[in-house]
Amino acid sequence: MEFKKIIKTIFFTEILKGMALTFKSMLSPAVTRQYPEEKHPAMPGFRGLHALVVDPATGKEKCIACGLCAAICPSQCIYIYSTEGPDNKKFAERYEIELTRCIYCAFCVEACPVGAIVLTEHYEYTDYSREALYMTKEKLMANWNKYMAGPKGEEYFKKFWHPTADDYRAYDGQPMFRKREG
Amino acid sequence: MITITINNKEIRLERPVTVLEAAKANGIKIPHFCHHGILEQWGGCRMCLVEVEKMPRLQTACTLFVTDGMVVMTESETISNARRSVLEFILINHPLDCPVCDKAGECKLQDYVMQYGPTAGRFKEPKIRHPEGLNDPLIVRNQERCIMCTRCVRMCSGIQGASAIAVTNRGNHSSMEPFSGERFDCEYCGNCLTVCPVGAIMSRLHRYSYRSWQVTDEIQTVCPFCGVGCTMIAQVRDNALMRVVPKLGLGSNKGLLCNRGRFGYEYVGSGERLKNPLIKKNGKLQPASWEEALDTVASRLKDIKNSSGGNAIAGIAGARCTNEDNYAFQKLIRGLGSNNIDSIARMGFAGGQRIFEGMLGPGVTSTPLSGIADSDAVLVVGGDPSEVNPVLGVHIRMAFKKGAKVITIGHAPGLGRHRTAGLLPHPQADGVVMGGLISAILKDKKSLPGGNRPLEEKITVMHLPSADDAAAACKLSAEDIGRLAKQLAGASSVSIVVGREAGGNKDTAMLVSVLSYILNARIYLMSERPNEQGLVDMGCLPDMLPGGRPLAEEGLRKKCGASWGIDIPADEGLTLMEMIQAASSGGIKAMYVMGENPAFNLPDTKNTEEALRRLDFLVVQDIFMTETARMADVVLPALSWIEKDGTYTNAERKIQRLKKAISITGMEDWKIVAEVGKRIGLKMPYGKAADIMKEIARVSPLHAGLTYADIEGGDNLWPYKGEPHKNWFSFPELSADAFTSPAEEGLCLMLEKPLFHSGTLSRKSPALNSISPEAVLRLSPATASGLNLKDGDFAKVSTEKGSLSLKVKIDRGIDGPAAFVSNNFEGRGLFSLTGYRLDPVTKSPLTEGRQISIEKE
Ligand code: SF4
Ligand code: SF4
Ligand code: SF4
Ligand code: SF4
Ligand code: SF4
Ligand code: FES
Repeated sequence: MEFKKIIKTIFFTEILKGMALTFKSMLSPAVTRQYPEEKHPAMPGFRGLHALVVDPATGKEKCIACGLCAAICPSQCIYIYSTEGPDNKKFAERYEIELTRCIYCAFCVEACPVGAIVLTEHYEYTDYSREALYMTKEKLMANWNKYMAGPKGEEYFKKFWHPTADDYRAYDGQPMFRKREG
Repeated sequence: MITITINNKEIRLERPVTVLEAAKANGIKIPHFCHHGILEQWGGCRMCLVEVEKMPRLQTACTLFVTDGMVVMTESETISNARRSVLEFILINHPLDCPVCDKAGECKLQDYVMQYGPTAGRFKEPKIRHPEGLNDPLIVRNQERCIMCTRCVRMCSGIQGASAIAVTNRGNHSSMEPFSGERFDCEYCGNCLTVCPVGAIMSRLHRYSYRSWQVTDEIQTVCPFCGVGCTMIAQVRDNALMRVVPKLGLGSNKGLLCNRGRFGYEYVGSGERLKNPLIKKNGKLQPASWEEALDTVASRLKDIKNSSGGNAIAGIAGARCTNEDNYAFQKLIRGLGSNNIDSIARMGFAGGQRIFEGMLGPGVTSTPLSGIADSDAVLVVGGDPSEVNPVLGVHIRMAFKKGAKVITIGHAPGLGRHRTAGLLPHPQADGVVMGGLISAILKDKKSLPGGNRPLEEKITVMHLPSADDAAAACKLSAEDIGRLAKQLAGASSVSIVVGREAGGNKDTAMLVSVLSYILNARIYLMSERPNEQGLVDMGCLPDMLPGGRPLAEEGLRKKCGASWGIDIPADEGLTLMEMIQAASSGGIKAMYVMGENPAFNLPDTKNTEEALRRLDFLVVQDIFMTETARMADVVLPALSWIEKDGTYTNAERKIQRLKKAISITGMEDWKIVAEVGKRIGLKMPYGKAADIMKEIARVSPLHAGLTYADIEGGDNLWPYKGEPHKNWFSFPELSADAFTSPAEEGLCLMLEKPLFHSGTLSRKSPALNSISPEAVLRLSPATASGLNLKDGDFAKVSTEKGSLSLKVKIDRGIDGPAAFVSNNFEGRGLFSLTGYRLDPVTKSPLTEGRQISIEKE
């Protein structure tokens, strides 16, 4: 025991081991990403900026203003003001999210019965003002068109968002449903 | 004593009740749809099934009465299965609309499905579709959601008495049909909405604008429309009034409301609300700052006081302002050296009450509403309670359903289907019929009850007409009068409901007192405005100080004056109509009007307007630009009922709290008055409404020591906490012509008190306007066909005073040769057609000049 310790102390084996690692790393390629020059691609299912899903058929939001997302939101940062639309249907006059308070838990996505609110992969939206981080309905719908419209959104619906409505057979345009057979 | 066991818990009961009630009283919840505390039992939904020992099948707890030794289980495997099946059946057709249904969150079906329900149905058949009924202006029916509990039907026919809906069709296809305006008798009380356990009947007003859990605040307050003073809950989100709902069992209304209370609140958010003080400059009202407006009011009033004396100033207090507002207001006017203070209560309420109290003792009209439904006989005179005080009317209907005799004198179409007899003398001959009734009852009873000597002496010299004479004078049948007299005399518990017209006429009011005395009946005085009683109690009368203390008693006057730091003038002031007359002759130079619209609400509109125009200075304090405000020199914007704290005193003489639920910029009436008061040197150090209540409790012997806490604690019935005034007795003389019926023949113009409107407030309420948008001329089918008029025709109605062109509406509820016009719509009020004469004692204006001619246009 004693002898081993003496050898270690005299020949700095520990330090040499450490230096060996240093040299190895020096020669291998760097892993640090030079953000923001170099972007980080989001992993599939990343929970970033919110978007309100736009129905491609109508160009309007899919949201039916049920308020469930706002009800479940643990930080209570979704504000919905609904009213009766010209077609006598319910719609959200104002749909707002205070991003500064959101904890990106995606409960809202889970709660939504029709798959109308989602978290996109986009995460670069820091700003100096609070207003810029206060999402209105228009901004949220623009987010969808910008980041998720088309096949990407469809893909996400299949893999991650999966609204309750998909498990049920909707009937006559009603928002809710009966369990699918099989 | 009955002992039963529910869920192994022993329960003792005084009297047999249903298992459901027994369980509820002991905190055990049994799910139910069709049972409802205030409705008749039905036992149709099968949700309340329970197991009872020794009974082979599950029993419905809502219809099963307890018996001694009964052992009940409310939860078990079998019961859960049964309930799940019930829910599965309901869900065969019930759409799963929860995400867009306004009821979600407070829906019984939703809750029970969460608790017991099936996650998936087994039925493959398509659901029955039933398009949402969107053609009704106030009530949305979604019959897909109806679970056929029939609560609404039982409410509508059993309690409200309107019978406007029924179950139509059978089985799967049944639905509740129909609402829709006057065609189908719907009174838009909305009480069916209150009891519907699901979202099948909902209010259109706040449709889709909220989720029940978004309510941030619930404030219990009192309805701003009439003197019943129904308790209601205002629900608020983000400083906006979301909806007004009743709470079953709460208040004298027990959770019932009428259409005004339920649907009329939208005026609060009306864009036409006054926002800035206005001052007339160069003949036009222009926005000004509060400072400028208040200074102008104070300095002009002071100038007029200095130049023409305090008696040249008059004040009209507001029947929709709180006690606190009115107390401060009369203090201001008296501080200006004038007793010229009166209000719309002069139209019948104040005078009638004075006579009843004078003849029968103080507090006779302090009668709890619940007494009506327990009466054996109800006599209605001088108005239609179902329209003036709708919830009081509902109580009369309930009494009728329980078998009470309901007798109406005069027009009361709202009780058309709920009365045993209706007498229709000439509108000015109520007294004759009453005289005949009294003498017939006295003949029946043989002697006076004894007890009130002075009154009995009075009765013996009244020269009452015999039933035969009375009948002959009013062209009624003597037999009818005799029969009704027998019914009244035979009843052990009688209620007399008196309207404005009867209260304002001293002869009728005296006869009501006599009748009430000999029958030992309770008197209910209808009150058209929410705080008429408060006006009386707060001393907004030319001859009374706060607490019902007569001005004439020097000691009381001095004491009151000393506590305010002023000398209250000893001379009685002018009453409402006398003020108007004095204004037109120049005796009154300045007038301060708070929360009232005299230019429209007083008879003989044209002359009243003329008189107001002659004033040197007119201040109007209101929430809307009324006819009177347009003539004013200064207009001060006040707050509406939901924006301020305070108290109202209702027709039962119950003082109730009003609470601030939302705040907008502006000033409470009392605050404006206090600001003016300070500027003329009065001591009005009020920071909040409670400060005024403290002063009232000090100054008014009737409210001695009363606090808001007492009021909320239920210590709120007359005589509040104080002492009523003792030396009351005063008997006016009957007029010489008290028992003669006017000889005039032909069509008679009558004031319609529409169920759907009240005046300044209801006019600005979109919901009420949508069901009753314009002034109409109501005629009975016979009268209309005699004049060759059809529904929707236009007719010109003329009297000596003027004429109006109105749309004809044929109303089957009207009997006899009468034409009804309301006084609610701008420029089309009945008061522009009629004149008045003052009653010598009550000083109420009695309508004159009812003779009309109608021409088709
Ligand atoms: S992600 Fe979570 S915290 Fe953020 S809005 Fe949705 S529910 Fe609220
Ligand atoms: S849960 Fe979905 S449908 Fe409901 S309000 Fe939120 S986003 Fe709209
Ligand atoms: S609103 Fe009133 S009157 Fe109309 S149907 Fe409902 S309960 Fe009957
Ligand atoms: S409408 Fe409502 S209250 Fe009426 S039967 Fe249907 S569920 Fe019951
Ligand atoms: S009865 Fe009178 S107090 Fe009651 S809700 Fe109707 S208007 Fe309001
Ligand atoms: S509540 Fe008992 S059957 Fe409906």
